Amino acid sequence: MSTVAQVSPRPPARYTALQSLPIDQKRGEWAMWCTIATEAMLFLCMFGAYYYLGTNKDRWNIDYPPSLKYPFILLAILVSSSVVLEWGKKQVERERFSAGRIALWITVVMGLVFLTLQAFEYLDHWKSLAPYSDSYGSIFYVITSLHAAHVIVGLLILMYVGVLPRYGETRNSPHRPYAAASMYWHFVDVVWLFIVICLYVIPTFQGHAHGHFAK
Amino acid sequence: MATAFVEERLTYLWETPKTIRGWFGTVDHKELGIRYLVTAFIFLLVGGIEALLVRIQLSRPDMAFLSPEAYNQIFTMHGVTMIFWYASPILSGFAIYLIPLMIGARDMAFPRLNAFTYWSFLLSGILLYISPLFGQAPHAGWFAYVPYTLTLYSPGIGMDIYALALIFLTVSTTANAVNFVVTILRLRAPGMAISRMPLFAYSTLTISLVILFALPALTAACIFLELDRRWGTHFFMVTGGGDTFLWQQLFWFFGHPWVYVIFLPATGMISMIIPVFSRRPIVGYAWVAIATVLTGLVGFGVWLHHMFTVGMSDMAMSFFSAGSMTVSIFTTIQVFAWVATLWKGKPVASTAMYYALGTVALLVIGGLSGVFTGIIPVDWQVHNTYYVVAHIHYVLIGANVFPVFAGFYYWLPKMMGRMMNETLGKWSFWVMFIGFNVGFFPMHILGLIGMPRRIYTYPAGLGFESTNMVVTIGSFVFGIGVLLSLINLFASMRTGELAGKNPWNSDGLEWDTDSPPQPYGTAHIPLVVTRHPLWDEFEESMDPENERVLDGGRLTPTSGWLDAEPNGIATMPEDSLAPLALAIFMFIFFACLVFQLMWVVLGSLILMFFTCCYWMWPRESKEVA
Repeated sequence: MSTVAQVSPRPPARYTALQSLPIDQKRGEWAMWCTIATEAMLFLCMFGAYYYLGTNKDRWNIDYPPSLKYPFILLAILVSSSVVLEWGKKQVERERFSAGRIALWITVVMGLVFLTLQAFEYLDHWKSLAPYSDSYGSIFYVITSLHAAHVIVGLLILMYVGVLPRYGETRNSPHRPYAAASMYWHFVDVVWLFIVICLYVIPTFQGHAHGHFAK
Repeated sequence: MATAFVEERLTYLWETPKTIRGWFGTVDHKELGIRYLVTAFIFLLVGGIEALLVRIQLSRPDMAFLSPEAYNQIFTMHGVTMIFWYASPILSGFAIYLIPLMIGARDMAFPRLNAFTYWSFLLSGILLYISPLFGQAPHAGWFAYVPYTLTLYSPGIGMDIYALALIFLTVSTTANAVNFVVTILRLRAPGMAISRMPLFAYSTLTISLVILFALPALTAACIFLELDRRWGTHFFMVTGGGDTFLWQQLFWFFGHPWVYVIFLPATGMISMIIPVFSRRPIVGYAWVAIATVLTGLVGFGVWLHHMFTVGMSDMAMSFFSAGSMTVSIFTTIQVFAWVATLWKGKPVASTAMYYALGTVALLVIGGLSGVFTGIIPVDWQVHNTYYVVAHIHYVLIGANVFPVFAGFYYWLPKMMGRMMNETLGKWSFWVMFIGFNVGFFPMHILGLIGMPRRIYTYPAGLGFESTNMVVTIGSFVFGIGVLLSLINLFASMRTGELAGKNPWNSDGLEWDTDSPPQPYGTAHIPLVVTRHPLWDEFEESMDPENERVLDGGRLTPTSGWLDAEPNGIATMPEDSLAPLALAIFMFIFFACLVFQLMWVVLGSLILMFFTCCYWMWPRESKEVA
């Protein structure tokens, strides 16, 4: 064979003494990165559909954009819940597990407040727009409710982590559940930021720029 | 410690008991890989029978062998089965079986997720095949264009099952992709730097990333379709401000990368097989690896070439036409690497090599007809004719079925411990190869003289009759060729000569295991110093002090993703019934969505959540001190 390796007979010790290596704790977070990538792509497709449906249609520019009353409050709640959870993660890394657990449950409560407020927003919105009114209503409610579904999944994950017996380094899975769950929560948070920008703020600016709200 | 003692401990740790619970709960990648292969192959046979029914109907003008509705359902089921439930899962089956052995890991990164992936793949296929029982299979072709698929034109449950079974399958496929990404990037044996990784691992890694980024478009499209059909939304109906082309955009944004998902691992297999039977390393390893990755990347920039007849700006068309031709450059790099390997090597005429060379020949024909259709005026002429049918079958049979058969003849001795019959194999190859070309080459001509695809029948006197008859004969000959290999498999499983560890004198780590491999793979975790571990003079599994056996539990080493420097030990879970339970609850969820049983849907969601909690709950594992 033409590939004869020139190697020393004894490789470095770190390659041979495998028994002494630490237990891997990172696989779950790698999988979470992959999940976030594919979920982000799902939302990107949704936003793509939003803009694709919006081109060349008068309806979207003439009518009033969604009210800005709720989305910023909702954003504030989610961002601060992420801050709380991140603080909790730091506590867990310093092995202050009770503080971490409290932070996690505060996050859960904030998530529930988010969902309640969003329900109010829907009730408000529903008076003028429903998913079956037209394509704008369809995509608006699908994007926001898909996000709400992610909030619910995030809350379920957090609640599961909230009742886990221990958070420290473990031999068996789940490894670092707190870190993986908080990654997911931050992702849900960032998606809401994009929803606020694309579905609420930009249409408002466009409406003013085009003078649609004069009448 | 004696080696026998170590092997006994490892067997105790890794072996799945041969009980009913063991059968349903196993997480062994070898067991699951074989199940994947068997299930996907059954889908190939079912889809093949559907194709033959279609060909009988088209063999003569004005035939009434099938009713028009039955014809539509059968050609749709043929396409959907082949593209979604055969072509990708069969490659996943090879990858699940082989990747951990090739990279020297004891199992995949997430063994229970692997089991879930299999069960959900199987159950989504069963969900799809519920529809013919109601006489309401999907009937709108595999790409299901709206508005024909909306309730106005497609009442009944057929298209609902299409949409929901596909969403179910995307869950399975995405989970599989996550598993491969983490496995290939983190579980490679110490020393197997990314520059020494087998090319099959390169292609599997590439398509896993492609799946992560492309599949959500299909999920989104199917969600929209189902909402439009049953929940009164207006994504696709022009009357409510929807857009019919939204479906096409989303579907092909997924659809074209998917072509590479079912093509690249097959080229990876060819890149493993041709060098072994040319008795030399592949020419241009780095070029082939880079071309593989770039095919996956540029594959995202070509989807509009399915839509040239829709009408769009010249700029967009030029861009996507150029993109489509760029992709062919990367495939050409691979083809030239294979040809150069043959040229510089000493080829051995084994059955696997026959199939590999058949692949190269058919891929070149299919690739060239693809370049033609990438040219916009030609595309306008041949769009939706049999020319496109010929092209898709040349690339999908040429670059998926033939490499898969090459893979079977090459790796089955490893999986079943016995050699396949070479004579019967070569007969099977020639019958398949001749039948395929007789069956599909005339389709180019049919398309050019104007026969549209998906027509139920055609009147006499258009010049289609004799060519269609030839096509039908060819397709039956091809079917006989497949049957010969199947007979070969069943005969060789019992009477084939024993394979031994490395019957082909191959270079990959998978050939360092027994045939069939032990549940734990190799006793000693290999240490990799070159690209061709079994061809170099380094003893990969030499470990006299038993420092690389990791027999304290279900353990496998993790390493850096770039240089494969060992950095940890991964604990592996034991057998579990949770993956099966989760897949069953998910099946109930999707099946009840079809029939709008919303309380059951809600109940299955709750059960899914608690199953996940049970699955992830920390527990102690089997250890030996």
